[in-house]
Amino acid sequence: MKAVWIGLVNLRRMFRVRANIFFVFVFPMVLILVLGATFGGSSTPRLGVVDTGSGPLGAALLRQLEQTPHLKVVTVSDAAALLTQVGRGNLAAGVVIPPGYDAAARSGRGATVRYLAQENQSSQQLGQTVRGAVARQAALLGAALFAAGQHAVPDFSAGLAEATRVSPAVPSVSVTQTTAGTSVFSRTLGQFDEGAWTELVLFLFLTALTGSVAIIETRRLGLSRRMLATPTAPITVIAGETVGRVLISCVQALVIILGSALLFGVSWGAPAGVVAVVILFALVGAGAGIFVGTLFRNEQQASAISLLLGLGLGALGGCMVPLEVFSPVLRRVAHITPQAWANDAFAKLVGHGASIAGILPQLGVLAAYAAALLALAAWRLRRVMAA
Amino acid sequence: MRAALLICAKDLRARLRDRSALLIGIVVPLGLAFIFNGIFSGISGGGTVLNLGVVNADHGLASQQFTSEVLPAVARSGLIAVHPEATLARARALAANGTLEAVIVIPAGFSAQVQANQPAAMQVIGNIDDPVSAQVAESIAESYAADLNRVRLSVATVAAGRGGPALPPAQIQALSARAAAAVEPVAVDDVSAQTKELNQKSFFAAGMAVFFLFFTVQFGVTSLLEERSDGTLARLVAAPIGRASILGGKLLTSFVLGVISMAVLVAATTLLLGASWGNPLGVAVLVVAAILSAIGIMALIATLAKNAEQAANWQSVVAVILGLVGGTFFPVSQAPGILSRLTFIAPQAWFLRGLGDLRAGSISAVWIPALAMLGFAVVTGAVALTRLRHLAEV
Repeated sequence: MKAVWIGLVNLRRMFRVRANIFFVFVFPMVLILVLGATFGGSSTPRLGVVDTGSGPLGAALLRQLEQTPHLKVVTVSDAAALLTQVGRGNLAAGVVIPPGYDAAARSGRGATVRYLAQENQSSQQLGQTVRGAVARQAALLGAALFAAGQHAVPDFSAGLAEATRVSPAVPSVSVTQTTAGTSVFSRTLGQFDEGAWTELVLFLFLTALTGSVAIIETRRLGLSRRMLATPTAPITVIAGETVGRVLISCVQALVIILGSALLFGVSWGAPAGVVAVVILFALVGAGAGIFVGTLFRNEQQASAISLLLGLGLGALGGCMVPLEVFSPVLRRVAHITPQAWANDAFAKLVGHGASIAGILPQLGVLAAYAAALLALAAWRLRRVMAA
Repeated sequence: MRAALLICAKDLRARLRDRSALLIGIVVPLGLAFIFNGIFSGISGGGTVLNLGVVNADHGLASQQFTSEVLPAVARSGLIAVHPEATLARARALAANGTLEAVIVIPAGFSAQVQANQPAAMQVIGNIDDPVSAQVAESIAESYAADLNRVRLSVATVAAGRGGPALPPAQIQALSARAAAAVEPVAVDDVSAQTKELNQKSFFAAGMAVFFLFFTVQFGVTSLLEERSDGTLARLVAAPIGRASILGGKLLTSFVLGVISMAVLVAATTLLLGASWGNPLGVAVLVVAAILSAIGIMALIATLAKNAEQAANWQSVVAVILGLVGGTFFPVSQAPGILSRLTFIAPQAWFLRGLGDLRAGSISAVWIPALAMLGFAVVTGAVALTRLRHLAEV
């Protein structure tokens, strides 16, 4: 019972520092929002197009590009601005339809459009899509030119009109698309889903680690000595600190889970599974945080190291870039971190709709981590408390 | 002046002794830059060639032209690597497990259908988790299909223009040959845009450096608040040195710590991580401007707080928000509308923008970002100084 009281005091102490409200609750939510908005969902590359003075045919090509799937057209005023934006990465690539385009196309001299891109793979790929769109318009232009050349029509414009008219009736060569393989996620993820669970895992651990600073403060203020002076067994104090960390983690998880579900429509999967992962991971964080807290005497040193460990292990465990894009080797290495196992559990719960039974292996590993870290923490805390 | 230097020297000794400045200023940003770079380098895909499988069940003229002329031309550009596959089943299996990013299938009878002016279709098989590669394969196939359609449309337009009965097959053949030989009406020229983005290593190095800079410079002005609560400020004020010397000493401490931190980080990331920061003079200008803007903003916050602990908390909150909005955690260049504009309320964004532009151009690219950061420094610094004067009056 005393342990619970000690835990509640820890909770209150945390909330009394207003900045903690930002770091523990607000910042994770902001990060989930920004990550989901920037990277969540399918990213359509943005293609800048300059078509000033390119005439009706240029406008037609612009329309063709706008109708092309898998790219978003942004009109830009001039080529210099386009070059700058492409160079800075604000636009994936750019197309310049020059002023003489209309005349060159009509005369049959051959018109040129310029494709501006940085030299990387994704720009080359987008270039292929642009070429496909241009080829479609080229078909109409080519037909019109040919008909005019064969004197089957009075001039180019008549030819273009005729080609546009007969085009739907001409049997065409088409391309059909099918997909193979099974998806990494059997359910379609919402835009913010993956960001939400990875940031939850990141911040549960980070908050637990930086909360270790409070343990140092407890020692510095002489609180632990005074607690031990009362008829309280050291094990009770240790249990109290652990309860405190777990309580803070649970409150944090509750806010993030409910908040993201309500505000961003994030789905979290089977509740029993989610609760199990959160509690076990909170215990892992508690053990790690208390252990780190016993290693330092200086609060500033402790928070710096906590930041390094929390962010570093989080990144390795797939909290910043999801595990499924890791190379196979790195993915194996990632699983020395408890974060990777927690992320795996959530991926199964949310991405595959698993129940708690489906994540038992991950829960087992997390329980093992928790037991080991808590034992380590208890041993260290016992030793330094009396000092 | 001498008093200010002495105060600065004393503060620096104290900070370096307790090692927290070293940790926040050097160890943590360097460590994180290494870790992030290590992880992001270990990500599969992105930058590798697209493995395109081809199943040619036809072997007629049209399909031969595709496999022996069109595809090799695309392969020469380095975009794809062509893998001919014997059977559709095998190709589909390879696409399913990700060995091949996409497969183009030319069914039997394709060339005959093309020749006979009948509808024909090519098929693209993509992996369900890789829509981008499927799109690329589809575009390659569609470009070829569009070219074939151009010939058909040309003949059809001629027929429609002339009117009257349908054309005899021989004439269709002749017209088709002539249309196929016609020049491409529209060509696409590739123009290389010089990149103004930092490469991955440089981005992590610069991002972490400028993010933690805002924590490193906190030590100077916040120590003024600490001295006030410790009682040593009263003694400093009582000494025969001007208040300006006390303030100057504290601000100088922040500046020196900032310079040491950034200098070590630039050198260490260049040598150990392989980051390229760019023209040294340009980098120096940007770094000094960034340090001054950081001091200005953090000093202003410190003057608004009641004690050192509150100051440190608020400073951390602001530093993290500015770091996020300024794009130090991940690039916000392609972020949706408002975020890509909002980013410029953070000096960090100007710092990264300056480094990016420096990469592509001459040193003159740094003037605008440097001026912007100095603007931050001047505005926040002026307000902070007026408030600090009251602070020094214990």
